[in-house]
Amino acid sequence: MKISYYPGCTLKTKARNLEDAAVASMAALGVDFQELERWNCCGAVHSLADDDLIHHVAPVRDLVRAMDQGSDKVVTLCSMCYNTLARANLLMRQDEVKRKTINDFMSEEKDYHGEVEVLHFLNFLRDHVGFDKVRERVKVPLNGLKVATYYGCTLVRPGNVAIEPPADRKLMAEFLEAIWASPVDFADATTCCGSYQVLANPDAALDVAARILESATRAGAEAVVLSCPLCEYSLARKQDELLQKNKISKDVPVFYFTQLLAAALGLGSEACRFDLSPRCSVELLKSKNYPIDAAVVGV
Amino acid sequence: MSHHDSKSASPMQVATGDRAILPEGARTIPIYVMGKRYEVPETLTIMKAMEYAGFKFLRGAGCRGGICGACPTVYRKEGDYKLYFGLACQTVVEPNMYLAQIPFYPANRAKYDIEAISPVAETVHALYPELFRCVACNNCTKACPMGVEVLDYISAIKQGDLARAAHLSFDCIQCGMCASRCMGELPQYHVAQLVRRIYGKYIQPRAAHLEKRVVEIESGKYDAMLDALQKMSHEELEKLYKEREREPDMAPPGTWMPEDTQYL
Amino acid sequence: MGYTPEMLELIKRVEATRPARVEMARRGENFPALSLEERAVVLEAFHPDYQKEGRRPVKVGPDKGLVLPDEIATMLESRSMIRPDKVDLSHVDFDTDVLIVGAGGGGTSAALLASEAGVKVLMVTKLRHGDANTMMAEGGIQGATQECDSPFYHYLDTIGGGHFTNQPDLVAALSHDAPQSIAWLESLGMMFNKLPDGRLQVRHFGGSSRKRMHSAGDMTGAEIMRVLRDEARNRSDRITTLEFCPAVELILDEEGKCAGAILYNMETREFFIARAKAVVIATGGNGRLHIKGFATTNHYGATMDGVVMSYRAGVGTTCLPSTQYHPTGVAYPEQNVGLLITEKVRGLGAHVLNIDGEQFCFPLEPRDVESAELIKEAVEKKKAVITPTGRVGLWLDSPMIDLLHGEGTVRKELPAKFIQFARHGIDISKHPMLVYPTLHYQNGGIAINANCETVIPGLYSAGECTGGVHGENRLMGNSLQDVITFGRRAGVSAAAYVKKGVELKKLTLDHVAKYEKELKDAGIENPMIAPVLLPDYSTDEVAARRKMEAMQESE
Ligand SMILES: Cc1cc2nc3c(=O)[nH]c(=O)nc-3n(C[C@H](O)[C@H](O)[C@H](O)COP(=O)(O)OP(=O)(O)OC[C@H]3O[C@@H](n4cnc5c(N)ncnc54)[C@H](O)[C@@H]3O)c2cc1C
Ligand code: FES
Repeated sequence: MKISYYPGCTLKTKARNLEDAAVASMAALGVDFQELERWNCCGAVHSLADDDLIHHVAPVRDLVRAMDQGSDKVVTLCSMCYNTLARANLLMRQDEVKRKTINDFMSEEKDYHGEVEVLHFLNFLRDHVGFDKVRERVKVPLNGLKVATYYGCTLVRPGNVAIEPPADRKLMAEFLEAIWASPVDFADATTCCGSYQVLANPDAALDVAARILESATRAGAEAVVLSCPLCEYSLARKQDELLQKNKISKDVPVFYFTQLLAAALGLGSEACRFDLSPRCSVELLKSKNYPIDAAVVGV
Repeated sequence: MSHHDSKSASPMQVATGDRAILPEGARTIPIYVMGKRYEVPETLTIMKAMEYAGFKFLRGAGCRGGICGACPTVYRKEGDYKLYFGLACQTVVEPNMYLAQIPFYPANRAKYDIEAISPVAETVHALYPELFRCVACNNCTKACPMGVEVLDYISAIKQGDLARAAHLSFDCIQCGMCASRCMGELPQYHVAQLVRRIYGKYIQPRAAHLEKRVVEIESGKYDAMLDALQKMSHEELEKLYKEREREPDMAPPGTWMPEDTQYL
Repeated sequence: MGYTPEMLELIKRVEATRPARVEMARRGENFPALSLEERAVVLEAFHPDYQKEGRRPVKVGPDKGLVLPDEIATMLESRSMIRPDKVDLSHVDFDTDVLIVGAGGGGTSAALLASEAGVKVLMVTKLRHGDANTMMAEGGIQGATQECDSPFYHYLDTIGGGHFTNQPDLVAALSHDAPQSIAWLESLGMMFNKLPDGRLQVRHFGGSSRKRMHSAGDMTGAEIMRVLRDEARNRSDRITTLEFCPAVELILDEEGKCAGAILYNMETREFFIARAKAVVIATGGNGRLHIKGFATTNHYGATMDGVVMSYRAGVGTTCLPSTQYHPTGVAYPEQNVGLLITEKVRGLGAHVLNIDGEQFCFPLEPRDVESAELIKEAVEKKKAVITPTGRVGLWLDSPMIDLLHGEGTVRKELPAKFIQFARHGIDISKHPMLVYPTLHYQNGGIAINANCETVIPGLYSAGECTGGVHGENRLMGNSLQDVITFGRRAGVSAAAYVKKGVELKKLTLDHVAKYEKELKDAGIENPMIAPVLLPDYSTDEVAARRKMEAMQESE
């Protein structure tokens, strides 16, 4: 088995905290986690309509790159990249006609039939690293940290690429338990964050973000974890505006799940990257008096 | 138009300049320039074959050495759906190739102030928002006559890795073929130029010894020495010339010093 | 496509002598180098610069009597493409402070510096911006940037390399400004080869006492040109660039100051009057005149236009009789003919051989001597290989390099050449290359001083079209430095001159009329029309048919 890691553009620019934490955590866990040598956009910025085949060229090319490199699995961190790659992969496995069209168009590459498996990092952690191993390696148990498990849409929809059956969600919860935190499921865990509406209908986007945050707090969560830069934009970076417009009553700490992983593994500030997270997230961790190095939470 | 009888030269006559002449018995082959058939000697480049046929380039020829990007040419071969791309000055004619030169292709170029810009990927993204219209179709790479991995450098720019993009795009000769084939209507080669300059100016470390030398020059340190040299006789100069110490070949830059340091 | 079966057959002769030659090289033995006297003999007999044949005194102009290659003399004894009495100089199409003629490295540097000084710049060029010799330079650019080096040694190396024939003030300017020029390029964002700590990577070159050659991959000139062009485009509000619009004649004013030029739009065949308070000529070299039929490394537009125009206006030249031939230009495959094969190949031990696979010269003679030896073997001994397109060539036995230094050395040390030949199906680590001397550099040209001034007020010049910087022999890496240093100086000088206040009087082309009279008085009938702008490579058959058509039309 050879596994390649597919980062995605956003993780290299606006969501370094999602990536740095994951990469450092894998190193700490002794897992070989190599970035694909050559990769391009996952295709998420292109329309997702699947009758428009050209939009599958980008993700399929990434999968071909993984195949070229001899990998049989490719792991993503960003939910959106996961979704795009997984859907393109499914298409290449299942739709003979479209597969041929795409392969013919990409005649400069090897033919692809879905040889590579696309995995989200959470599945990878559970099935290939093992939550038990994670639990053993935790240096800073995040005891008593009540965290809402926010999936958004792209991890669970459409159903044929969901990282687990949406009705029976437990991956995020198991992950949080592995780092000794307390998962909080809540009603809006799979409600869309609204980012698709930011341009067309900004107010609607704010409303839905507010609803998700309020619903998480009501369920007793102190913080929210997620795995998608778009969700992070809606739920974290928009909080100032939400507060200003009185759409939420207090700010809510938001983390990428990888950041909590890195913190629990006792990694440094370059790994946790709390400097890129909302101020309140840092305050929360400090208030818990975890034996985290002060530098990590940016004092 | 065609020269089936290739009798231009006796075997010992010698070609001059860039004009090709045919030795006895040289074979000719048909090519189609913008649909019109010409018989040209095999082994010539497209550029020289067209000149042989009587074309005189105005556009479409520059360095004639594969580095200026003036002569990109697109062609098809008989019975083959594929489009091929090459430099007319570097690509050898093949029988029955159908070709057209594309000496110019319009592309959007963003103006910027190299002194004032912030050397980060977001700057490039803001100047060229169309970057995100790339669908990774890879037609740019397929069209590049220099074998540059165009899609890979565009991806690197989107990923914020300007250093990688600068190196990947270094061989670009700005012929414009990538832009001509782009579904997202990107001006790849202009974006790459911007990125390379950001890299060269801000990301690559500056040469400290150079900065120091410039200060020395501006302070007039060498003025008297240079004045004296200008006034020297041939004999005096020749003596100094012969006495020069030579920096050893194997000494890494910045490690060796001569014995005579009075002129440094 | 690779070598033809006939050529492969000839290569067997090279292979037959190779083992013995490699053994010889391993023992450190060489084909004997020539003594100074022998050198003089072969140069005298075969170097194009030394031969009486093919050279003659120019009959007119400021350097009347100077012995020049026929092609150059004829070019100077030319007449204008415009009829001076038919031009209405009162109708001005472009009015500018500084007109820059030629957008290569020299012209573009001048444009940038002049625009920085706050004057309006019009830059006109023959082909596209950057279709220029500058674009083609591979090797590198000199400058005394390292601690063990200084402008003093740059000066000495340069003037010694030029056999002490260089113009001292120009050499001083070159070595003084060189580090500043390199710092300027760095600040514009040029990607120099550097060590991880930022130190500039430097190398030795023929005639250097210090490592002073800076480079950007193996396309230093292209990187310089791309960066300068990009910067000029950023300043399009201050620098107007006209492509395919060469200058074809200088315009003076009644007081004899330079006052602009006549431009020619080659695409629409229109003429324009460009009035300018100062003019900078930076038109580059003359390789495309193919002196004595030699192939050239130069770009398509290298036809000596600037020298022709300024000579006609009364500006003399420096070192013009001397031309640099590079001993090893490509002779096959046809698509690479004339292109440079770096000296490094011989430096790594490759022998130069005749058609029988025999050595006939020491491979590392000075460039001019080496060139003469190759010409002798081909012309006098008739021991050259004839290519399918009728060219002569001698073998350069590159496969020896791997045998001497280990498998893979050719690929590692000569990557660009390896790829260039591989493109055409020739593996130079397995098969020898076919070479012949090629016209490389116009050593001399327009006479200037260190401020790039000519004898005509308001007329400046910089770069390969000028003479004196390199004397009769140019060192590698000094011409890229020449174009940056003197391009910048020309821009500064021209702008300063304009800013002092220039009042142009009535425009005139009297100098052109006067020159034509001089031609007539010298008995020159049917002078050629120059600048020629572009060489003509049509075959004799095509040319003959064109003439017939023209006759039918007019008679
Ligand atoms: C293959 C090759 C390799 C070289 N390698 C090196 C090297 O490694 N190091 C080094 O230092 N030097 C090298 N040189 C030499 C060096 O590149 C040139 O001497 C130098 O770049 C000349 O610059 P320039 O600006 O004077 O002329 P150019 O760069 O030639 O520019 C002149 C411009 O003027 C234009 N022009 C001509 N006539 C007219 C007209 N009538 N009106 C308007 N425009 C006109 C031309 O089209 C051209 O664009 C090399 C040269 C060649 C050809
Ligand atoms: S003419 Fe310059 S690349 Fe072909």
